[in-house]
Amino acid sequence: MLTITDLNAFYGQLHVLHGVSCEVLEGEVVVMLGPNGHGKSTLLKSVCGLVGRVEGSITYKGKEISGLSTEKLVNQGVIYISENRELFGEMTVMENLKLGAYSKYARKAEKKNLAKVFELFPVLAERKKQLASTMSGGEARMLAIARGLMSNADFMCIDEPSLGLQPNLRMEVFNIIKEINRQGKSILLVEQNIPQIADLADRIYVLEEGRITFDGDTEAAAQDEHLKEIFLGM
Amino acid sequence: MLLEYLDVFISGMTIGSVYALMAVGLTLVYGVSRAFNFAYGSFYSLGGYIAWVLMMLIGLRGGYFMVFALAIPILMVFGYFTEKAIVAPLRKRSDWEVKVMMITLGLALFMDNGYQVLFGPRMKSLPPIMDGAIEAGGIYISNQDLMIFILSITGILAFRWILNNTRIGMAVRAVAQNPDGAQIVGIPKDKIFAATFGISTVMVGAGGVLLAQKYFISPMGGWDILVKSWVITAFGGMGSIRGGLYAAFILGLLEAFVGYWFGLNWVLFALFAVLLTTLAIRPQGLMGKWG
Repeated sequence: MLTITDLNAFYGQLHVLHGVSCEVLEGEVVVMLGPNGHGKSTLLKSVCGLVGRVEGSITYKGKEISGLSTEKLVNQGVIYISENRELFGEMTVMENLKLGAYSKYARKAEKKNLAKVFELFPVLAERKKQLASTMSGGEARMLAIARGLMSNADFMCIDEPSLGLQPNLRMEVFNIIKEINRQGKSILLVEQNIPQIADLADRIYVLEEGRITFDGDTEAAAQDEHLKEIFLGM
Repeated sequence: MLLEYLDVFISGMTIGSVYALMAVGLTLVYGVSRAFNFAYGSFYSLGGYIAWVLMMLIGLRGGYFMVFALAIPILMVFGYFTEKAIVAPLRKRSDWEVKVMMITLGLALFMDNGYQVLFGPRMKSLPPIMDGAIEAGGIYISNQDLMIFILSITGILAFRWILNNTRIGMAVRAVAQNPDGAQIVGIPKDKIFAATFGISTVMVGAGGVLLAQKYFISPMGGWDILVKSWVITAFGGMGSIRGGLYAAFILGLLEAFVGYWFGLNWVLFALFAVLLTTLAIRPQGLMGKWG
């Protein structure tokens, strides 16, 4: 569904990604692991048109999409869900969700997606009129994911969904992502740790210092000595 | 005595309403895109000159209704493409806010001198929107003042309605609150920047049409408006639309009373005295969100 070939990304003078290649097949959850600051978020942002300078090829559903604006990508069904959530704080939950469906691609399915979102996140249905800035960390995370779903995307780039959450909330978020995947979305997800995503990921990549250093399924990852070292300190 | 004060009060409210319309436009652009438009006064004059050309030069029929029907789209398009042409290219550079001030200052000088070349230095005036006056209990309110007040308030309410009830209004608020978040959900940020610039041009240009009947249109007439809009915006609080509304009426009344008691020469002095006192106590202005 998404194929990245030999991708280089830059922030100003800073060369962040060095020839990264990876792919996500239709219906898969692919997890990109790696230490903080090694380019995982940059990879997601590069896919979603949020990095200034990107070289290399990104194809989505067989079409080249590198260099397209975020607006165009959202219209083709690719959405970014930020680790910082990036909600509209002074607006209600409902307004945030409606803005999630701003693109033409999303508009036609707005009602259907809203119903789906409220089914998936009953807490948001109860809090339609609450201002986003007054929500707890966990709720705000749910709202960010829900807003992403409103875009009607087929492909979701989710940046560290567990960031700043308590362990029980993390599990809840991962279960929801699993359910979203089961309903047919392909997902590229960034995380820092193996154990949490073990039963979520179909495949795992590891990104270190802007390069892919591991590629395999969860079992292979769990047995890899190098990964144990960097992620579990064993 | 009391009746005279009431007259002054009405005059203050009338002018305050137009100031409100114009200050909201300035605040909108600043709030959404952090750009400060120094050509705002020249856009005010543009509204006046467009009305003058339509009514006096071409002899358009249909009165002010037709003037607004034509001037609003012209101003909107002018503002939109001005943003695209001279502001948007700067946005990607460092220190772009300062560069926007410089280039809009240049635009203001260019436009004002253009008015001088095209229309000459002599002042132009427009006929009143409505003749006559209404009388209630010994107080006369001229229909002109009343219409100016009503149209300004209508403009502000229409703007509020657009902001709260339309898709583009929601997108404008989204960009103002979180530009990155807006980009992520696929809102065309650049188009929204240009559109808000266009909307603000309509608001100040409409103010120009309204005030041109009471005062005059002159090539340099916009500077006074730029200064006043800026004082109102700073007094009300940068980026706060509600603060700008209150500030506009407070300063409109202040202007009317200071003009009545001490003469028009003291108006700007009084405005700045109030502004500086306020900022000394509350640096963020009446309702400012940003420092």
